Amino acid sequence: MKFYYFHLMPYIMEHDAPSSWVTLSNRHYDPVMGHTLYNQYLDQLEQAERLGWDGLCVNEHHQNCYGTMPSPNVMAAMLVRRTTKAKIAILGNGLPLRENPLRIAEEIAMLDVASGGRVISGFVRGISAEYFSTGVNPTHSRDRFYEAAELILRAWTEEGPFPYDGRFYRYPYVNPWPRPIQKPHPPVWCPSQGSSETVEWAAKRRFPYLMVFTPIKRIAQIYGEYREACEKNGYKASRYQLTVNVPIVVAESDSKARELAKKHVMWVFNVGLRMHPPFWRPPGYMTEASLRRLLANPPKLPSELEFEEADREGYLIYGSPATVRDKLRVFSDELQAGILCSGMTGPSHEQTLEMMQLFAEEVMPHFRDDANVDETAGVGR
Amino acid sequence: MPTAHEIIVRGTPVQMLRDGSGPPLLFLHGAGGAGRWLAFQELLAKDFSVYFPSHPGHGGSRAAEWIEHISDLAFHYLDLLDRLGLERAHLVGASFGGWIAAEVATMASHRLASLVLIDPVGIRVDGWIYPFLFGMDIPEIVTTLFQKPMAALALAPSDQSVDTLALQYRQGTALARVSWNPYLYNPLLRRRLGRITAPTLLCWGAHDRLAPLAPCGEAWAREILGARLRVFADSGHVPHLEEPDAVAEAIGEFCRLREGAR
Repeated sequence: MKFYYFHLMPYIMEHDAPSSWVTLSNRHYDPVMGHTLYNQYLDQLEQAERLGWDGLCVNEHHQNCYGTMPSPNVMAAMLVRRTTKAKIAILGNGLPLRENPLRIAEEIAMLDVASGGRVISGFVRGISAEYFSTGVNPTHSRDRFYEAAELILRAWTEEGPFPYDGRFYRYPYVNPWPRPIQKPHPPVWCPSQGSSETVEWAAKRRFPYLMVFTPIKRIAQIYGEYREACEKNGYKASRYQLTVNVPIVVAESDSKARELAKKHVMWVFNVGLRMHPPFWRPPGYMTEASLRRLLANPPKLPSELEFEEADREGYLIYGSPATVRDKLRVFSDELQAGILCSGMTGPSHEQTLEMMQLFAEEVMPHFRDDANVDETAGVGR
Repeated sequence: MPTAHEIIVRGTPVQMLRDGSGPPLLFLHGAGGAGRWLAFQELLAKDFSVYFPSHPGHGGSRAAEWIEHISDLAFHYLDLLDRLGLERAHLVGASFGGWIAAEVATMASHRLASLVLIDPVGIRVDGWIYPFLFGMDIPEIVTTLFQKPMAALALAPSDQSVDTLALQYRQGTALARVSWNPYLYNPLLRRRLGRITAPTLLCWGAHDRLAPLAPCGEAWAREILGARLRVFADSGHVPHLEEPDAVAEAIGEFCRLREGAR
């Protein structure tokens, strides 16, 4: 199994406001504290490469304390020059949120060229709340996503200049300099919540599918749908197309790990993902079919998730190195996930670094029978 | 009691309620008002043949993918007048429906015996930004729109079934398609209001918190030549629900006068 270190770059704080997204006033953000946090978080990502992680993940979210990376490409740029081997996975850029998606084609190509071909380019729609932060019409989200994705892929692979005339995006000349160094283009990943439309779309293009913060049962179901969709498209899914992001806490004992997980991982769900209900469901972001599926079996709001349930349903992994190894076997052997994109959160920067070291020494080596495989060969393009 | 009809307007199926006799009057509802035949419509039907269609994607009317812009809805209602064989009609629109009605009037005032706009949205007004209803939960929406919160009960859904929730989502989607950004206005409409030649009555709730009388109602009154402005002292954004008798009476009086003048 391959290990990617995933960072949300949260601004960890307690508050009584109804929403950690969109409306939580930025007066709570202390830039001096932010300076320290950004540098600690980047140190953690750089340390992850030294400890043996295969990839480093950044992502895009807006106007919240959950993740302070409105531009993942800026963070990726910092990592490119401070690392040498690790893949830099941008999971991802919110394509529909951009008025000019060619800018994404350009920025990813810049990073790919500068890094010598280490970039993985996630394509996402952005979660529901981003449509309140950016003003983009959520009823256009899906169509803008598909159109921007096709435009970016053409911009990377077709010789320019060519004209492009879409419903949302129009250019008399598409001719980005630089072109990406990876051929035909950097691997594309689809981090998603499991909508059947996106599963089909990703499977057809061999784009790896990443499930974020999802209970194990649902991961198994969506992986099944994805594999089936790959077979319908005439090929067998590589295990490196099945990726997962599950928060991990490792400590010297199960009880110590449990205590840390209860506090720090649950912050992500209970506070970080606390959202004013209308922000979960902007009109037209989902198809009516998807909405009906959701209503038929309504998932619990993350803010209402309790630790015991999160533990039972497999929203997170915690324990001593031996326990974490056992729990990871479910992902590596039963779910056959090829890449684990997980971050760790300790009570302090130093303790997070210690936790990372413990994981790298006591857990990771037990899952390294594919050490010589290039996980990006033949997938994501 | 009104009768329910399904009519096809240039290929788009529409659910429509219909009752009353007299000169034809087309009523365009606001968000959440589809299919709600209440005291207001009942009063109008005493003097007029009232036509009350649900916008595509609202009430029982199926969503129409081709509707991408507010002008598409305005053309849809010109087509509906043709489909009903109405050469001229009184046009009454409330809130979002008032926006559509104003768009229609800028295109074809000659088709309108009169134009009545009840707390319309649809234009950009200096010094005012419409509160973002899409980001509000139900209690916040009611507080923003109603001076008499009890009047909102008339629009409450009958249940919380999947079908009902899906219908509300479909209505929100149809609304957002044409109004998310720019939010609740067409940047081109304000300067076109000068083209309206139909006799126009503006009905405004004194306590409208979505589109307040000052500056919104006053801006409309300035832009539409000769428009009359009637203010309803006990209403918020939806005076036809909050003071149905007074609003229906004002409209009836205004429209009957225009009938006589012809």
